[in-house]
Amino acid sequence: MLSKFLASQPTEVTPENFSEAMQQAIEIEIATIPVYLFTYYSINRTPDQNHIGQIIKTQLLSKEKKPGVLYTQQEVDTIAKELSAKIMVFANKAGASILSVVIEEMLHMSLSSNVKQALAGKPQLVNKVPPVWPAYLPGHEPSFPINRAKLSFDQLYTFMQIESPNKLLEADKKGSPLPYTTIGQFYGFIEDCIKKYFKGAESYDSRRPQLVPKMGYYAQNDIDTLYYNKEHKPKFENAEDSGDLIHVIDQASALKALNEIVEQGEGHHGPGFKVVGGKDCVDCQRFGEGAYDDKKRSELAHFDKFNQLWCEMQQLDDEFKHYLGDDFDPKTLFINNFETNPNTADYPDIIQKVSNLTNAVSSYLYVMTEACYSAEQNTQYEIFMFGIHKSMMWILGSLCGELPNMNYIGKDGLQYQAAPTFENYVFSASSSPKAQIIDLFNIAASAYPNISYLKDRIYDLPNVPLEGYLAKSEQAILA
Amino acid sequence: MSANQNGCGSTPSNGCGSAPNPTKPTDQTPAPKELHACMGLNACKGHDRFGTNDCAGMGYCATQQHVCHTLNNCRGQGGCGLYGDAAEQCRPGENDCAFQGSCATPIQAERISTMGANTGKSVWLLARELFEQRMEKAKRNVSPSPYKNGPPQKWLQTLDGGYDSCGNSGDKYCSFGFNDPAANAQEMIDKSRAELKYTLEECHCEKDKD
Repeated sequence: MLSKFLASQPTEVTPENFSEAMQQAIEIEIATIPVYLFTYYSINRTPDQNHIGQIIKTQLLSKEKKPGVLYTQQEVDTIAKELSAKIMVFANKAGASILSVVIEEMLHMSLSSNVKQALAGKPQLVNKVPPVWPAYLPGHEPSFPINRAKLSFDQLYTFMQIESPNKLLEADKKGSPLPYTTIGQFYGFIEDCIKKYFKGAESYDSRRPQLVPKMGYYAQNDIDTLYYNKEHKPKFENAEDSGDLIHVIDQASALKALNEIVEQGEGHHGPGFKVVGGKDCVDCQRFGEGAYDDKKRSELAHFDKFNQLWCEMQQLDDEFKHYLGDDFDPKTLFINNFETNPNTADYPDIIQKVSNLTNAVSSYLYVMTEACYSAEQNTQYEIFMFGIHKSMMWILGSLCGELPNMNYIGKDGLQYQAAPTFENYVFSASSSPKAQIIDLFNIAASAYPNISYLKDRIYDLPNVPLEGYLAKSEQAILA
Repeated sequence: MSANQNGCGSTPSNGCGSAPNPTKPTDQTPAPKELHACMGLNACKGHDRFGTNDCAGMGYCATQQHVCHTLNNCRGQGGCGLYGDAAEQCRPGENDCAFQGSCATPIQAERISTMGANTGKSVWLLARELFEQRMEKAKRNVSPSPYKNGPPQKWLQTLDGGYDSCGNSGDKYCSFGFNDPAANAQEMIDKSRAELKYTLEECHCEKDKD
């Protein structure tokens, strides 16, 4: 059951509804994760440059440089090398940039959870992914559809709407009792409540477990958030000092946690959309002061990362158009052909089995994270390192890489590559989630043996119960 | 040599969190080798993958091999560099427990750190420096590593079983047609060596940072 806090039309955030408001904030963060991840996995970050080069050469040889004049072989080779390198850099950068945002959204989910845990009690993270797509940010004005869709200009525009530092046009038309026009503004209502009502340290229960900083749970950079430039020099998408977890023990730390979420996301003073002709338009002119969220000013806020990608993808299109005309779309060279908002139930049998396993693993991430809010620090560390990191990188990542290798015919009669759907997998209480994941793996691997190599990784997952009270006596987490 | 021969658990490994399953020693039970993460990081004679090195620091390769972050079975197996936080990445080859240590072994010469004071610099050079410091404390002489900058990726790929580096951002040793990969690697190594002292100082401070 998703939070209905904003749907209940509150007039303000108060101590009485604070718990619901924080839960709503957590669910807004969770709602972004499958959207960004879906788009991330639509990108082939390391396509075959030789193959791309050959396609470009074939196209160029059929084009005229100017009327009646064909490109020479040397020109064809030079242009193909240049354009294929641009694809290699952009594809990898787009992946690194979106993944860097995903990591920070997970951090935001935990920061909000820390605030809720300190002031109101345990956050609820399980089965909170939006069940219907397109999804809408609850209470956001204006409402706008959010799809699980492959990388495109439209999808990046949606990302920018989600992360917009300024209110979107047509924002004043509805006027619900607690309207918010940006996510930052919603957090502002929560901050107001904290400033007004939660001043004393006695309001904060720091004995309840929280995810604390300096444990490496959400390391800002790794090999997946970097890309290589044209000269193959590494470029990092996240800055190290853009923020870590914050242990919420008083008013100052609570406000600091919320401020970090807003700074990394929308940026406090970013330029936002440019209004042209009464419409929110993408501004590719420059990135302003508020575009950076870290002290060294080397990392863009989420809105601006997406803004930059949108503009660079436009440049890529323009350059290809210059040589190859309107008919050739360079995005087909590195973006998987995913259907928009696919559902596991609509997939053919074999894909469905792999997709079910993928959904169970992604849902288990939330089971494990929620369990951390009932666990002492060493257990939290074990859950994170041996469970969450391993699941993200070596199980979920592998499955999401495997799914696009399977094709199916959609309801529209067109062929698509299978995509991870990131639907909630509702675990039964009759056995542990891990046991159910193992069962799903055995079913999936029997149908699709290419994933058999994941067996040890799945058996090595920590055994985290769905709820603390369901844990058996002496049940070891690492069993 | 497989990880299981190091006495760190069975497959699937339970790492540090479960009881061991000891077998009765026999005369044929091989003496366990010290676990280390790469070429040139061995403390003892015969402690490299091939068991043929003459003395400390001369080993040809890691005493084990694992694929990446969270997949190692034991203490000291973490290669570091591509995943993990700033503090972890300052201690390549020195992880305390299974599934820690942030990245794969062996550590190819071209690998860089992605967090902390060593960001963008050679992981192997830092690991070797930390190893030499440990040997110095133990009053041991250390001989040169077979490759002075660590094992090159191309060499690792010639070994049995090949070599698989981790991550989704692609091959570290590569070119899109506008650079010489070897020159890039050499530039990174030269910079890392020149800044090693500063890197160590910064790493030392890392644990005190907010």
